[in-house]
Amino acid sequence: MKGFDYFQPQSLEEALELKKKIPGSRFIAGGTDLMVQIRGGELKPSTLISLRSIRDLSSIEINGNIRIGAMTTVTDLIYNPDLEHKAKLLVDAARRLGCPQIRNVATVGGNLCNCSPCADLALPLLVLEAKARIKSLSGTQDVPLQKFFEGPGKSCLSPDQILTDIFIEPVSNNTKAVFLKKGRVKMDLAIASVALLLEMEEKTCRKARMAAGSVAPVPLRLQKVEVFLEGKALSPELADLAQRMASESVAPISDVRSTEEYRRHIVGVYVKRGIAQILGWSLD
Amino acid sequence: MKKEILFSLNGIEVSVFVKGHERLIDVLRNHLGLTGTKEGCGQGECGACTVIVDGRAVNSCLYPALEISGKNVLTIEGLQSPEHRLSVLQQAFVDCGAIQCGYCTPGMILSVKALLDSNSKPTEKEIREALQGNLCRCTGYVQIITAVKQASSQLQELP
Repeated sequence: MKGFDYFQPQSLEEALELKKKIPGSRFIAGGTDLMVQIRGGELKPSTLISLRSIRDLSSIEINGNIRIGAMTTVTDLIYNPDLEHKAKLLVDAARRLGCPQIRNVATVGGNLCNCSPCADLALPLLVLEAKARIKSLSGTQDVPLQKFFEGPGKSCLSPDQILTDIFIEPVSNNTKAVFLKKGRVKMDLAIASVALLLEMEEKTCRKARMAAGSVAPVPLRLQKVEVFLEGKALSPELADLAQRMASESVAPISDVRSTEEYRRHIVGVYVKRGIAQILGWSLD
Repeated sequence: MKKEILFSLNGIEVSVFVKGHERLIDVLRNHLGLTGTKEGCGQGECGACTVIVDGRAVNSCLYPALEISGKNVLTIEGLQSPEHRLSVLQQAFVDCGAIQCGYCTPGMILSVKALLDSNSKPTEKEIREALQGNLCRCTGYVQIITAVKQASSQLQELP
C-alpha cells in the first residue's frame, strides 16, 4: 500500500483550506469504508484530512427539529436518549449497520458521503425527507438528501465542499415507519433493504414515503409507489399491487451478494411486509 | 514524515512515532511488540484485531494510528493481573473450552469485556449481538456464549 500524509485540523475552516490547498486529498471520517478502499488499492489519496478533531461536527441537537452532526457515530445515534422517540426509524436502521466495532467508529456523514447504494442510514433519512447541510469556504447550502446521491461512490459535493449536518423534522403522531434489511448474516451489507413510512387517517393513507437500498446506483426513493398509495384506503389487495410496482421500479444488478431477480423480489416483499407491519396485519 | 503520538496503553502512558498511513494495529504489533492483537481480514469483518478505545470496542486494523493520541487503549495484554494471573473473563474462556486455535480469542474477549463493562448481566441475545463482529472459524459459538455467561455470573459474585 502506498503511504499518505494525514492531517488533523481542529476547525472546519482549517479542514476546508487544507482540502483546497492539497490536490488529491480526501476527507476521512470514521474510516471504516475508506481504510478498506485504500488498502484494497481502489483509492490512492496523497493526503487524508481527518474530521475527527472538529468538535462541532459530532453533536446531536433536538429542539423542534433534529440536527445531527456529520461526525456523530452510529453508536451515538443508538444511545442518544431522545432520538429513539423522535426518530425511531433512524435508530432502528443504525442498529442494523455493521457490527459494534464498526458502529463505534463509523459516522452518519461517512455513511452518506461514501454513497454506497446499500448505505443503511440513507434509507431512513430519505424517508424522513432529511436535508443535508453543505459548507464550503464561500458559503452554506441545504440540499434535500434525495439530491445528494448521484451514483455509486458519487455525491453532489464538489471537491471544496463538506457535509456538516443532517436536519430532520419530527413526524406527526399518526405516522409509523419500519426498516427492513436482508443480509446473509446480521452484520452484512444489505442484499436489499427498504425503509417505509405511512401517515394514516383511519384506513386512508395520507402520506407514504419509501426508499430502497442495494437495488439501484443510489439509495432510491420509490416515488411511484408512494403516489400510488397516497389518498387510498389500504387493503391487502392494494399492498399486493404496491409489491409488484416496487419490484418493477428498481434497477438492481447481480453481484457476489445476490442476483438481480432476488433483489427485485425482496424489495417487493419488503414493501408489502412493511405496510402489513405498520398496519398490524397478519400475512399468514 | 513521522509524528509523535502519546496515549495510554493498558494504563501506561506511551509515546510512539508513526507515519500517516499506519494503523493502530501496526503500532501495537510492530512498534510496541504487543502481538496479542491479531490481524485477520484487515477489513473490519472478522474482529480478530478488536481492542478497546475509550471504553468502546473497535477494529484496530481500520483505526488510523494518529487518531489514538490522547486516548485510552486496552488490549488483551492489559487484562491479566500484575501477578500475571488471567482475568475472570479469560479464565472462563479456558474453563469452558471456548478456545480452539485461539486466533479469534483476544478479539472475542475484548468485545465481551466492552459489553460486560457497560452491561454486567447481558442476555444471550445481547451477548450474541456484542459478538456479531467477531468470527470464529474453528468450532462455533456455543462454548464462547457459555464462557461469557459464566464470567458474567462470576463477576457478580466478586466482592
